Amino acid sequence: MPTQDEIYSKVSATLVEALNVDEEDIKPTSTLQGDLGAESIDFLDIVFRLEREFGIKIPRGELFPESIFQGDPELVQDGRVTPKGLEELRSKMPFADLTKFEENPEVGNLSNLFTVDLIARYIQGKLENGQN
Amino acid sequence: MRLKDQNALVTGGSRGIGRAIAQAFAAEGAKVAIIYRGAREAAESLVAEINNEGGKAVALQADVADAASVQACVQRVEQELGPISILVNNAGVIEDDLFVRMKPEAWNKVIQTNLGGVFNFCHAVAFGMMQRRAGRIINISSVSADHVNMGQSNYSASKGAVNSLTRALAMELAKRGVTVNAIAPGFIETDMSAAVRNKAGDKIAKYIPMRRIGKPEDIARVAVFLASADSSYITGQVLKVDGGLTLGAVAE
Repeated sequence: MPTQDEIYSKVSATLVEALNVDEEDIKPTSTLQGDLGAESIDFLDIVFRLEREFGIKIPRGELFPESIFQGDPELVQDGRVTPKGLEELRSKMPFADLTKFEENPEVGNLSNLFTVDLIARYIQGKLENGQN
Repeated sequence: MRLKDQNALVTGGSRGIGRAIAQAFAAEGAKVAIIYRGAREAAESLVAEINNEGGKAVALQADVADAASVQACVQRVEQELGPISILVNNAGVIEDDLFVRMKPEAWNKVIQTNLGGVFNFCHAVAFGMMQRRAGRIINISSVSADHVNMGQSNYSASKGAVNSLTRALAMELAKRGVTVNAIAPGFIETDMSAAVRNKAGDKIAKYIPMRRIGKPEDIARVAVFLASADSSYITGQVLKVDGGLTLGAVAE
């Protein structure tokens, strides 16, 4: 089982390759979309490289849940994530820290959840649960 | 040598336009995988010709309409030559008939080969190209996607779809430095057009503003351009190479 630091540095190296960014641009709080410029096709590449790097399987929708982003009126209303939607996020993304998002749950802020640190925590949870 | 250190795969590469493209790529320094379905002798003679002239070519059999066969084919090519950096989807068939009489088999065969084949090969190489942040995909379409002929509803539909796929895939891969373009040849001197040429004789040339039927080399030179660094800012385009055929009627 790699240490937290080892996981973080491997995640960081993966992002350097997948997003063609410099290592010094990557900080734990960097958001993939906003700070590092990731687009949908890049997320596919990130998942592929993480799977190879850590020898794990990442089922579609597990790291980047799609259901919440599809505009289901029960989950999203008037551009905001509903209480039910927040519940859904919590259950789909136990590895995410939603405290800040809950203060202002605008859909547009969802992408801010996807930070470098979130990926490292997701990987750590995955490895701890031995799901590889 | 505009294609030095490039690995190209050309489907339908043993004859006609595909053969001319394989030859032109090899002459520009690319290693070439020639994919054929049935014309094994033609493919092997082309490989021998290219290797004799100091180039590097291999021939592999595959049915472009069969996804599993295509996957296996791409894997073998990449084992032998290395990652594919240039893909030319040239394999195509015609099965002409008037629409009301067209058998579903004729429809399916043409769509599965001309369109399905493009999907299968693009699907097999696109992710690798995307990860390497480099690649050229060139689809051989036809002017008959837009300028239709009697009896070619299946062929026109397949080529029109190839043009749309070219644009859609170009959009998705652009950020990763992979370009996707199509060439739409007009009337070219190949086995595929032999029947029409035999029937119409030299009348055809009179309908072409340049007054001559195209040669496979006319298409191959454009393919080299689209495969080379010279075209790096062009993507999602369908380039007509037809001697002016589609400009309008020749009035004289």
